[in-house]
Amino acid sequence: MAIAVTERLWATAVPGIVRTVGDYRGPDAAEALIRSLYAEHGRSLLAYATRLTGDRAAAEDVVQETLVRAWKHADDLTEGKGSVRGWLLTVTRNIVTDRARARAVRPAEVADVEDRPPVESDHSEAVVNTMVVLAALDKVSPEHREVLVELYYRGRSVNEAAKELGVPPGTVKSRSYYALRALRAVMAGTEPEVAR
Amino acid sequence: MSEHDRSQLGAYALGALEPDEVREMDEHLATCPECRAELAELEEMKEFLGEVPPEAFLDGPPADGDLLLQRTLRQVRTAPEPQKKQRSRWLWIAAALVLIAGALGGGVLIGRQTVDQVAEPPAGSRQVSTTDAVTGTTMDTTVEPRAGWSWIQVHLTGLTAGAECEMLVTDKSGKTWGAGSWVVSEKAARDGSYFGGGVLVPLDQVRSVEIRTVQGKHVVTTAL
Repeated sequence: MAIAVTERLWATAVPGIVRTVGDYRGPDAAEALIRSLYAEHGRSLLAYATRLTGDRAAAEDVVQETLVRAWKHADDLTEGKGSVRGWLLTVTRNIVTDRARARAVRPAEVADVEDRPPVESDHSEAVVNTMVVLAALDKVSPEHREVLVELYYRGRSVNEAAKELGVPPGTVKSRSYYALRALRAVMAGTEPEVAR
Repeated sequence: MSEHDRSQLGAYALGALEPDEVREMDEHLATCPECRAELAELEEMKEFLGEVPPEAFLDGPPADGDLLLQRTLRQVRTAPEPQKKQRSRWLWIAAALVLIAGALGGGVLIGRQTVDQVAEPPAGSRQVSTTDAVTGTTMDTTVEPRAGWSWIQVHLTGLTAGAECEMLVTDKSGKTWGAGSWVVSEKAARDGSYFGGGVLVPLDQVRSVEIRTVQGKHVVTTAL
């Protein structure tokens, strides 16, 4: 249910950036959808789920369920204007959280209880933000986005990123500044919708 | 550094400058409220970036994930089509109509009865019929109200002879209760297996009934 709300928010907040996944009905189409989602997003989802669960086998189960849910909600993926990956990552996180909760209220399965706290107590706010931020990143130019990915998400220094991207360090610096400004402009445009 | 060098601010906010550049920037910021204000705005963006996991920027299929793909495809192939909700509702109604027909000994005059009227052999009972798309097991479930607890009867077809089954009931708080276990006889595998058990959960709090093998393999689940 949290997902449905998010989708709606999402659709109003960030129009028009998504690759559509088409109309997936019938066995062949279902298979095509799963294969294409897996080929494009599988690595991202499995890496994320593995970090959250700390367990590759559990992570695979979570990704499997994520893809099946995507197939069941293919209409939303098609109609919603959001980033498909944002949707998938959000669902992955919800599944991990739900499973952690289910384990917490079922002390009978002692063997299953893991030595780690539930991922998050309340993810509703973060849910919206993950998708909104990812969509905002989709809206800034590729040059700006790749600088943010290198410096922020990959933790690289200006010099390392310059080498990686094949541009002078000065360019990395100025791009990172304009990238953050551009992101702010995009976010400012969507903020009133999100705050609702 | 006496001039505003805005181009450094972004990299500074993201923590990507070299130590000596950071020192220079610190000195400038100490004397420049304008740059401090701008930095605060950029740092706000950094917090937004933190909402997205770094894994979001990995592309392609996972390494060694072929089994995962095959499992997922199998699940989708055997699962009912997404608009299943409607359909299972009709199955339920169809099952109820069969019950009505049976009760009337021939199915006369069933046209005017509503499903709700008939689905109450002991007052307040609930009946649901479910078929698991993967295992092919069909389960007719009747939950009867008792004083603060529930009596649950199931009739299962499609079980394997010799299977050791257990019945688990999950309440609306998410707690799971054991409601007994049994072994499927040859006859029960052929003609259908009846089983019943009680749980200390009021009827309106029963969320689902699951049958699985004692070894932990899922057989069928009914949501109430």
